[in-house]
Amino acid sequence: MLRLLASTALISAALAGAALSAEITVGAANVSTYLDPGRDHSNVGSQFYYNSFDTLIGRNHDTTKTEWTPALATSWKLIDDTTMELKLRDGVKFHNGAAMTADDVVFSLNRMFQADFPPYQVRARDRFNNFAGAEKVDDLTIRVKAKRAEPLWETLLNLQQVMIIPAAYTMSLAGDPAKLEHDDFEAFSLKPVGTGPYKVSEFVPGQTIVWERFADFWGDKAPLDKVTVKHMPETASRITALKTGEADIVTNIAPDQLDMIDKDPDMKAFGAPTALFHVMIMNQNHPKLKDARIRQALSLAIDRDALNEALWLGKAVVPASHTMEEFGELYMPELKTFEYNPEKAKELLKEAGYDGSEITFDTAAGYYTNGLLATQAIMEMWAEVGVKGKINVGDKWTGNSPELMVRNWSNPMYFADPFGSFGVMWAPGGPSQSEGRFNTDDAYAAAWEKFRFSGDVELRRAAYAELMDRVKADPALLPLYRPYEAWAMKNSVNWQTKPGHIPYVLDFRAGSISFN
Amino acid sequence: MLAYTLRTLAKMVITLFAIVTLVFFATRLSGNPIDFVLGEGITKEDRELLIAYYGLDGSVWTQYLRYLAAFVDGQFGLSFLERRPVADVVAERLWPTAQLILSATAFTLLVSIPLGILAALKRKSWVGSAVMTVAFLGLAVPNFVLATLLVLVFAYLLNWLPIVGNGTPAHFILPTIALSGLLIAALTRFTRNAMLDVLSQDYMRTARAKGLKERRVILKHGLGNASITLLSVIGLQVAGLAAAGSVVIESIFAWPGIGQLLVRSAILRDYPVLQFGVLTVAIAVIVINAVIDIAYAYADPRIRLAKG
Repeated sequence: MLRLLASTALISAALAGAALSAEITVGAANVSTYLDPGRDHSNVGSQFYYNSFDTLIGRNHDTTKTEWTPALATSWKLIDDTTMELKLRDGVKFHNGAAMTADDVVFSLNRMFQADFPPYQVRARDRFNNFAGAEKVDDLTIRVKAKRAEPLWETLLNLQQVMIIPAAYTMSLAGDPAKLEHDDFEAFSLKPVGTGPYKVSEFVPGQTIVWERFADFWGDKAPLDKVTVKHMPETASRITALKTGEADIVTNIAPDQLDMIDKDPDMKAFGAPTALFHVMIMNQNHPKLKDARIRQALSLAIDRDALNEALWLGKAVVPASHTMEEFGELYMPELKTFEYNPEKAKELLKEAGYDGSEITFDTAAGYYTNGLLATQAIMEMWAEVGVKGKINVGDKWTGNSPELMVRNWSNPMYFADPFGSFGVMWAPGGPSQSEGRFNTDDAYAAAWEKFRFSGDVELRRAAYAELMDRVKADPALLPLYRPYEAWAMKNSVNWQTKPGHIPYVLDFRAGSISFN
Repeated sequence: MLAYTLRTLAKMVITLFAIVTLVFFATRLSGNPIDFVLGEGITKEDRELLIAYYGLDGSVWTQYLRYLAAFVDGQFGLSFLERRPVADVVAERLWPTAQLILSATAFTLLVSIPLGILAALKRKSWVGSAVMTVAFLGLAVPNFVLATLLVLVFAYLLNWLPIVGNGTPAHFILPTIALSGLLIAALTRFTRNAMLDVLSQDYMRTARAKGLKERRVILKHGLGNASITLLSVIGLQVAGLAAAGSVVIESIFAWPGIGQLLVRSAILRDYPVLQFGVLTVAIAVIVINAVIDIAYAYADPRIRLAKG
C-alpha cells in the first residue's frame, strides 16, 4: 500500500512537473493594439483580459446558467436597495508585487462609475449609468452605490470593464506620480498590471503578447509556464503554423477551412456559434423606408436558413428573436419576432405602394466574415419579392448618415443579459436612436424601464417580449445569424472556449487546458 | 557642385512635403478612426467626445495647420491604435522590412545575373531557351501565389521550413524566395538583353583580339558595361519592392514589417502612423535612389566625368 501510494505520488509529481513546464504559442488573427480592460469592448480585446485580470464577482464559465462565484470579493450583500457591500479577499497581490487594497478596488470601480477619461466615459454611459460610485468602508470592505434599485448587480460587477487594477502603479506611469492624469490610463494600456494568474511579461502592440505564470496568484495556479500570442494574419499560414510547430492553438478558422483540419491527423478544431449577431439594420427615418410595411417586407423576404446553409454550412444559428441561450433566465426562444415569408413580403410591398425605387445596402467588404456574400444573396432574395436592391461597398460606417437605407452591422453580447446585447445598441437614447435611424416613444421607453430595472425576472421577460413586439411592428433591424467561429489546435492540446464567457475569450486558467 | 546638391535637397524637401500633404488630405477626406474602429456602437454625443479627445475636431484645414506646427516641432503624434509615439511604432517595423528587402535583393542578384549571362551566351542552344522560358513563366506568377505554393509545399507538406515571423535565419528562406520570384524573372531577362547588346560591341572584339581569356572578356568588359543598364533597373525594382511588393509577403509570413503596418493603418485610419510611415518609406526610397545614382556614376565613367 505504501509502495502504491509512493508510486502514485511520484507519477502525479511527474505529471505536475510536465504540466508546469508547459509553454504554448497561440497564432491569433488579430492582436490588440492596447491592453486596458476598462477602455476596451472589442472582440479582439476580449480575447486577452481574462488571463491577467480579475473582477470582484466571478462566474462559473463552464455553463451558460448564471452561477456567481467569489473572486476578488469573497462575499457580497445588499445593505439597502441601492447599496451593495462587498468583502474583499485578503492577501491578493498585483503582478508588480503590490498588495491589493480597498483603495485599489475603489479606484478601479470609480475610474468607470465616475469616469472623466473620455474612452471610459463612453463605456460608463452605455452600461454603468446606474452606478453613482464606490467607497471604502475599511481595509477589506467596500460599498457600491447605485442611483436606483439595480437588478443586475452581479452581472455588472462581473464585467471586463470593472476588472481591478492597481491605483498607485497607474498614477505613477505618466506626469505627476501622485496625481491621476489621462496619460496614466494611456500608459497603462501599454504596461497592464492586474491580479490574474498570468502576468503580461511582454507586449508589442498588434504583434505579440507574452503571458507568464504569476507565482503569487491568489487562486489555483496557472497551468502554463508561458503563453506567447503571435499575430498571424493569414488563415492558411495559421493552419500551417500548427504543422511546422510554430503554433499550438490558432484562432479564427472559417467554416470552409474546417474540412482541411478534420482530414489532417495532426490537428483538430473546436467551434461554436459566437454570442454575437450579424444584423441587418434599416433606417426608420429614410423617406423611402418610413412606411414600416416596407421594412417588414425587406426582412420577411430574407431566407436566413438558406444563408446559413450556403455560407456557414449550417453551423451558424438563425434566431427567431434577438435572444441567445447565454441570457440564462432571459433566454426567450419562444418569441417569433423574425421570420421568412416571401408571400407576405409581396403583399406588404403592394399595400405600402412600393414604387420599385432602388434600396441601397451598405456593406464593408472584409469586416464581417461572409458579409459581402450574404449581402449579394439578400439582393437576390429581395429581387424575388420585387425589391430592387443595390449594394454599396465601403469601409466607412454609414449608420449615422441620414442617407442610410440598409446596411450590415453586428450586435455582440457584451455581457450575458439582453441588456448587454440588444440593450447596449437599442436602448432609448442609445447609439441607434442617437444616430437618427431608430425611433422610440414613451411606450417603448416604459417597456424599456421595466425590462432594465424590474427586480422580478418574469416582469423583465414580459417587458422584453413587449420590446420585441415593437421591433416586429416597426423593424429597424433583423438579426441574420450567430456566426460560427472555430479554433484549431494540435492534437496533443485539449482546449475549448467556455460557454459562460463573452465571445472570443482565450481562457488558459487552471482547468481550462490540458495536454495528451 | 554645391548648387547641384542644394537643388537636389530642395527637390527632396518639396517632394516629401507634397507626399505628407497628399496623405493627410487623402486619409481625412475618407473618414476618421472613430467611424472605423474606435467608435462601434456609441451615441452621437460620445462620438463627438472621442473625436475631440483624439484631436480630430475642427475643420480639415485647422487640423492640417495643427499637424504642420507639431511637425516642425518634431512631434509626430501618438498612434490612435497603439497609444504610443508613431516614431516608436514605425521604427520597430522598419528593420524587419529592410532585412527582408536586402535579403531578397541579394538573392535576386545572385541568381539572375549568372542566369542572364548564361542565357545570353547560350542564346542559340536549348539552355538559353529554357532559362528564358522559365523567366517568362516567372513573370506571370504573382508573388502571393508563389508564396502560398512555397508555404504549402515546404511548410505544410514537407515540414522543412518555418513560416511565422523573422525569428531565425531559416525564417528568411521562404519569404526571400517568394519576394524574389518576380524580380529574378525580370532581372534575368534584363541581364540577358543587356549582355546581348554589349556582346556585339566593338570593344568586346578588341578585348578578344588582345588575347584576353574568354572568362575575363565576359566578366570585365561584358558584365562591366552591362551593369550600367542593370543598375538603373535594380534601383527601380528595389524602390518598388520597398513601397509595395512586401505587403502581401509580410502578411502571409506574419513578418512584423512596415507593409503590414501601413495596410492596417490605412484600413483603420490611424492617420499619425500612416503619415509618418509613408514619409519614412518615401525618405528611404529617395535615399536608395540617391545611392543608386552614385553607384551609377561610378560604374559609368562618362557620367562621373560629366558631373564632376
